[in-house]
Amino acid sequence: MCSMDSCLCWRQSSWMVGRGKMRLPANFRWLLATFVLLYLLNQVNSQKKGTPRDLKCTTNNLQVWDCFWKAPLGTGRGTIYKVCIEDRPHSCQQLEKTNIKIPALLPGDHKITINALHDFESSISTFILNEKNVSLIPDTPEILNLSADFSTSTLHLKWNDKGSVFPHHSNVIWEIKVLRKDSMELIELVTHNTTLNGRDTVHHWSWTSDMPLECAIHHVRIRCYIDSLQFSGLKEWSKWSPVKNISWTPDSQTKVFPQDNVVLVGSDITFCCVSQEKVLLAQIGSKNCPLIHLDGENVAIKIHNISVSDNSGTNVIFSTENSMDGTVIFAGYPPDVPQKLNCETPDLEKIICSWDPGRPTALVGPRSTNYTLFESFSGKYVTFKNAEIPTNEKIYNFSLNFKELCKILFTVSPHSPTSFRVKDINSKAVTLSWRLSGNFAKINLLCQIKINKANSAQELRNVTIKGLENSSYRVAVDRLNPYTIYTFRIRCSSETYWKWSKWSSEKQHLTTEAIPSKGPDTWREWSSDGKNLIIYWKPLPINEANGKILSYNVSCSSDEETQSLSEIPDPQHKAEIRLDKNDYIISVVAKNSVGSSPPSKIASMEIPNDDLRVEQVVGMGKRILLTWHPDPNMTCDYVIKWCNSSRSEPCLMDWKKVPSNSTEAIIESDQFQPGVRYNFFLYGCRNQGYQLLRSIIGYIEELAPIVAPNFTVEDTSADSILVKWEAIPVEELRGFLRGYLFYFEKGERDTSKVRGLESGRSDIKVKNITDISQKTLRIADLQGKTSYHLVLRAYTDGGLGPEKSMFVVTKENSVGLIIAILIPVAVAVIIGVVTSILCYRKREWIKETFYPDIPNPENCKALQFQKSVCEGSSALKTLEMNPCTPNNVEVLETRSTLPKIEDTEIISPVAERPIDSSDVEPENHVIVSYCPPIIEEEIPNPAMDEAGGTSQVIYIDVQSMYQPQAKPEEDQETDPIVGAGYKPQMRLPIKSTVEETAAEDDIDKTAGYRPQANVNTWKLVSPDSPRSTDSNSEIVSFGSPCSINSRQFLIPPRDEDSPKSSGGGWSFSNFFQNKPND
Amino acid sequence: MSSQVCSNPSASTAPLLPHTPSRREGLQIPALPACTFFLLRPSFHHKGAQTSSPASDPQADTSVSFLPHLEAKIRQTHSLAHLLTKYAEQLLQEYVQHQGAPFGSPGFSPPRLPVAGLNAPAPGHAGLPLQERLRLDAVALAELPPLLDAVRRRQAELTPRAPRLLRRLEDAARQARALGTAVETVLAALGAAAHGPRREPAATAAGATPAPVGVFPAKLLGLRVCGLYREWVRRTEGDLGQLLPGGPA
Repeated sequence: MCSMDSCLCWRQSSWMVGRGKMRLPANFRWLLATFVLLYLLNQVNSQKKGTPRDLKCTTNNLQVWDCFWKAPLGTGRGTIYKVCIEDRPHSCQQLEKTNIKIPALLPGDHKITINALHDFESSISTFILNEKNVSLIPDTPEILNLSADFSTSTLHLKWNDKGSVFPHHSNVIWEIKVLRKDSMELIELVTHNTTLNGRDTVHHWSWTSDMPLECAIHHVRIRCYIDSLQFSGLKEWSKWSPVKNISWTPDSQTKVFPQDNVVLVGSDITFCCVSQEKVLLAQIGSKNCPLIHLDGENVAIKIHNISVSDNSGTNVIFSTENSMDGTVIFAGYPPDVPQKLNCETPDLEKIICSWDPGRPTALVGPRSTNYTLFESFSGKYVTFKNAEIPTNEKIYNFSLNFKELCKILFTVSPHSPTSFRVKDINSKAVTLSWRLSGNFAKINLLCQIKINKANSAQELRNVTIKGLENSSYRVAVDRLNPYTIYTFRIRCSSETYWKWSKWSSEKQHLTTEAIPSKGPDTWREWSSDGKNLIIYWKPLPINEANGKILSYNVSCSSDEETQSLSEIPDPQHKAEIRLDKNDYIISVVAKNSVGSSPPSKIASMEIPNDDLRVEQVVGMGKRILLTWHPDPNMTCDYVIKWCNSSRSEPCLMDWKKVPSNSTEAIIESDQFQPGVRYNFFLYGCRNQGYQLLRSIIGYIEELAPIVAPNFTVEDTSADSILVKWEAIPVEELRGFLRGYLFYFEKGERDTSKVRGLESGRSDIKVKNITDISQKTLRIADLQGKTSYHLVLRAYTDGGLGPEKSMFVVTKENSVGLIIAILIPVAVAVIIGVVTSILCYRKREWIKETFYPDIPNPENCKALQFQKSVCEGSSALKTLEMNPCTPNNVEVLETRSTLPKIEDTEIISPVAERPIDSSDVEPENHVIVSYCPPIIEEEIPNPAMDEAGGTSQVIYIDVQSMYQPQAKPEEDQETDPIVGAGYKPQMRLPIKSTVEETAAEDDIDKTAGYRPQANVNTWKLVSPDSPRSTDSNSEIVSFGSPCSINSRQFLIPPRDEDSPKSSGGGWSFSNFFQNKPND
Repeated sequence: MSSQVCSNPSASTAPLLPHTPSRREGLQIPALPACTFFLLRPSFHHKGAQTSSPASDPQADTSVSFLPHLEAKIRQTHSLAHLLTKYAEQLLQEYVQHQGAPFGSPGFSPPRLPVAGLNAPAPGHAGLPLQERLRLDAVALAELPPLLDAVRRRQAELTPRAPRLLRRLEDAARQARALGTAVETVLAALGAAAHGPRREPAATAAGATPAPVGVFPAKLLGLRVCGLYREWVRRTEGDLGQLLPGGPA
């Protein structure tokens, strides 16, 4: 709003600005601007000093404007203002204050003139007033009431909108501020919209605190904003109302809040404690929580996403130093919408409903779920509290009319029938009666009867009966068997089936008896003497006896007469009748308490059969199949009887009748046992007489024999055994005998025991005897005087029986022994002969090999050697050729421990003292008595050889000594005359007659050795020789090739010309020395 | 002064099942052997000399036979108290199991607030004369059943699916009543007044906590009642044990 002057000048200036656009001269423009500026300054000064100013108008109800202005400067009390509003009659008012209430002006500009009169001066201000310049500021709202519901932590605010002062309907926005604690912390600032309707209206607003109101003071303020569409001026908020607060006054000992609330699982909840003491600890369950401090010592804790509670709730505890306070919160789930609601009526008088409550709420006791059931027909409500009953099944009583009944017929589920009874009608029918509570007079019932009979399948029969009002029902059940125990049960439903009732209790009932429907199955056997006929019959099965059989009547009739026997009580099922040779018809009748059965008849005559063969049959499982060829002569039925073959007469265990047109029968009996032989007899009925058609022996199942055949040895020879055995009794055979297995092997009693007869052993011989009539066996091709292990086993198709063994020794075979002796002898003779022949034919070779010639003594320079040597040294007197008796030369092969004297010992009768190398000087040692042989070498005489053989020269181990020698073979070639074999050394050449004579005289006595006087050889192997340097004197003497104890054949013949070469030849010492090296 | 009792195991080990609702059933006094004689301990008589019972007469102490059936009654009542001590322990364990955490936690020890209508055992209980102690025992045992019943009712709402706890609470009320009656019978047999001067209602209410309205205070009260039940039957067992030959001095 601005004054008119100002407006005018503004308008004027703007006009002048507009004129400026008309291109005035520049100096004129400057003058005009200066003028305007001065004028404005003047105007401002004049206004500040003397006229009312700053006119403002507000309204709080849109009907009255409250306008005020500022008084002129310098004016005070006593200033009178005259306010005039144009276009209004009596529009001027004179007043002494600077505000005025005027009725709301119409939209548009209105000129208001304020003339201030003060100290006889006046100043006038003119204002243009428009509604747009008026502010709408509602009155400050006033809270009528602020209350709190502490149990729900809810604040209730009440105030009046004072809408009656507003001429129009207007929207009002209320702004409410909730503050907490003494410090007035802003907790909530909410807006609330209402409408002014021209009347004073009290408004309510509620707010639920997240914190229990008991724990802190809460303040509330309110203000409003009127959004009037008709008002075009400024709209402003009202001032805030005075604060109203709510605080809790302790009126009980409860100091922890909220108390025992039920909250949704997952909620956020704040607990607080009003305490005068310092709270030390807060915990929920066993978990500690941080404290939120409120005014004073009050504290709070905030729980986020609380979990489901136990039945007894979740404990929240605040502990101070001296006390403990707490509360319990029950966090659970809201109940689910009940599912699967199912209602049915058992009697059309009440309804039983059940439903699925869904997820458990985890709330029990007083906090458990309440269910309300509404039945629309009757309009009844029933409340059910799901406190502790696990099943949600409840019975509600409703009165139903027939129209309603029809609608729920499909849900009829009757009670279980009671008072169930059974009553006889006749032997094949009974009446069932029962009670079914409820009034089913207008519907039909479908009932199901369960009939159980022993050893029979269960039978269900459905019956439809008309519903009754008196609940008693009855139905007849027929097609039953007489004298049979039945078990009945019944259950019912509506005819339009919905659900069966439960079964009634069982009722067992025995139907009454009836006369036996058939006569007993009969057979007859003649006694062994053929005078008596024994009648057999089988007890009637229960379905044919139709009652308890008390007795049997047996009668026999012929063409002339009919004879009736006395009554035979039930347990007995045979009768014996003495008959003559006439043909009779035997009748058997069974009787029970009701009457007699039709008679069973059988002829006594037995037609002979000459062409009867015994056959064999083996059953399958527990059955035996018998077949036969059809016989048109058989006019009545076939009868097969059987018995155990080992039982005594009469042979009858059971029988079976088959129709005459049958050609086979399967015999089955519980009495059949495997391994037992049975006799089967097939009878054919012909002209009222029975003829035995076939006789069969058989087994249900063949088993192995239970015993071994008893066998003995009948005869034994050097190469065979005759065995004989006995047949096995039928009872122990347990099957058809198929043969015997005979095993035999070499073996002693002790060794064979541990060796079984397992197959695959090559040393066991088996003979399979399939001819079961054979009872002996000869085992041939055995060895004499040998123990045999014999085993015999019988076998059937059921397997091998046990074995029986025996040990038998065959007799000695003398011819074989003789042959055994003669053959080696003959072989030895032949070998000897052949050897002799060979030796004879190869004698030259043998001689050269084993008896080479002794070298020619003429070539021996032994004497010259001796002479020359002796001339040089008188000390060497070895080989002194003095005549003497021949020495006994003994050549021995000894393996002495002495390295030098190894196996040769010279025993001299002259010097027989033992050689001791340690005691004998080398010079003395070489003294060996030697007698030159006096033998005419030039006249070889075999006799002399023989005489030489008598000499005391003993050659030992010639063969071994010869082997490494190669030279003698060459000698043999050079001197074939003397090359064969050994010659005694008596072939020295005779130098003188004296010597020759002496030699002849002593020729028989020269059984000694002749020195092989080869001087060169001796020289070579003298003690001075290099090879003998390390040896003692004895060895030297032995090492001489002409030594008396050397082997003359070892001297190579060529040594005579080459002494040195002979030194490298073979010698005894070499031989002995080399031997270890070998 | 000495005592001699022919051994009668059946008297000392007479089965006292927890379900002994009636006084007649719970206090059947078995016959003792004819050779039984029982001499009361001097401490009891000296401290309980105010009674005029012949049993408390020092001269009577020297008599050979002192009410053989009394010993049997004391022994039987002591056995009952011994049995109930175990049952009270089991009840307390069962109770804390169903109250949720932190009940039953090792560090959970709420203040032992007084219970309206029931005295807590005084710290100087052991210093009182035996007769007075027994009288206090009988009074407390008579006051416990209604409190145990109240706890059971509250627990029936709070833990309806804990039938064993509810059954134990029900049995405990019945057994406390039976034991209290048995102690009164012993006191009467000894010639002491079964009921001493009843507490004044004001005294009973003084310092007592009013009946709790919240669930948590109810839990605390139940815990306290079960604890006091255990404490009283334990004290009763100890006090009766002092009457038995061979008991602690």
